[in-house]
Amino acid sequence: MGLKTAAVGDLDTVIGLSLAGVTHTHIHRAKEETLKKLGDFFTSNDVGLVLITHRVAEDLGNELRQMTRNKKLLPIVLKIPDKTGYAPAADELRDVIRRTVGAEIVVKREGE
Amino acid sequence: MATAMNVSPNRMELIKLKQRVTLAQKGHDLLKDKMDALVMELFDSLRKIQDSRIAAIGQLKKGYVALSECIAVMGTLETMQAARETRKEIQIDVSARNIMGIQVPSIDIGEVERNALSRGYGLYTTSSSLDVAAKEFEKALKLLVDLAELEATALAIAKELERTKRRVNALEYILIPRLNEALKFILMRLDEMERENFTRLKRIKAILEERE
Amino acid sequence: MKVERIIKLELGKLNAQVPEKRLTLKAALVSNKPAVFTKGGGVHSFKKGELELLSKMLPEEDWEKLQLPIFISFEPSLGRGTAKIRGKIETAVVAQIIGKNKDDEMTVYRPEVAAIRRKLPTTTQYLFVG
Repeated sequence: MGLKTAAVGDLDTVIGLSLAGVTHTHIHRAKEETLKKLGDFFTSNDVGLVLITHRVAEDLGNELRQMTRNKKLLPIVLKIPDKTGYAPAADELRDVIRRTVGAEIVVKREGE
Repeated sequence: MATAMNVSPNRMELIKLKQRVTLAQKGHDLLKDKMDALVMELFDSLRKIQDSRIAAIGQLKKGYVALSECIAVMGTLETMQAARETRKEIQIDVSARNIMGIQVPSIDIGEVERNALSRGYGLYTTSSSLDVAAKEFEKALKLLVDLAELEATALAIAKELERTKRRVNALEYILIPRLNEALKFILMRLDEMERENFTRLKRIKAILEERE
Repeated sequence: MKVERIIKLELGKLNAQVPEKRLTLKAALVSNKPAVFTKGGGVHSFKKGELELLSKMLPEEDWEKLQLPIFISFEPSLGRGTAKIRGKIETAVVAQIIGKNKDDEMTVYRPEVAAIRRKLPTTTQYLFVG
């Protein structure tokens, strides 16, 4: 099925991804407003991927975590860095895996 | 523990119980194989994610840099206008693929990169730095889609791994020991009963011999 | 016992990814959305990149002989971490990936299974034989 993409972030992120062809965009200003927009993305049936910057995700805090946990399989949510390159020290994926697998998985690349 | 299983000590129960033990053992081995395979898939997934993240984030950075240049040349308002005019119908095809009983997403994005003519903004009112920025972001989008697929997959595998681990543990630490206990109990009782029978027969024989 | 019921359920699901009917490489290559229906009632799609890779590994006349997905078969008799690949064309493909001699039937070990899965994640599948 052909699904659209969405992006939520600051002005640069939104401009850049719009230029790349992302359909639905939202510039983050107020928490409530952004959460509502995300809610729309999550419940719509035509959005397959939501790109959101780490900074905005952090700003939305627990409400976002709750929404992501309760959403359907789609859309897939991916956190990306904004132009400052900010990414939180905690790697959410690694934390989830550590919780579910009960061990620290460290993958070393060849030659390290 | 044996009484918790409520088995009466007879041969019929013994046979049934032995079957249950064999089944549980086989189930345990199969689920352990599944667990091993899931761990391997997870490791593989994580390795791919590491590489994918580096590529995607690196390319995204290039995009931001190019965009800054573009804004410096064209100004923010003009750039925003160009972004508004761009055709934004990038579509992704999300289908499912199956790994050992779990459905994971498979995303196909097709051709993302376009040339300046087909993006939708006017070429006379924009600078070439806009084309550069757009191209870098298009490349980034493709890599981000790959990364999204990988991360969603890893998460699904991790969840299934945890469930399977719990089943294997339930078999190893609860079910199989209980079944073995019950087995021991029955064998012990059957043994006792046979000895009782044997002594009883001996006594009867002795009484009969006395009579003669 | 409740645990036994759960275990029986799990074992029933072990092969939910196995397709009702497999697809030949030839058919998959011409399809727009190459996929199979799984016994568990789902869909399993093949990535076009892998199909192309497979087509490069085999002569064209073999494309309709290769059934997809290729099964990596775990059987309790083999012991932990060991699996089997069956089929002349299937083993020919796997032999090219892991660099072993091909036969009608191949035994593969964990690191080799990892290598196969890395190269062909959607065109191979695990099969648990009880």
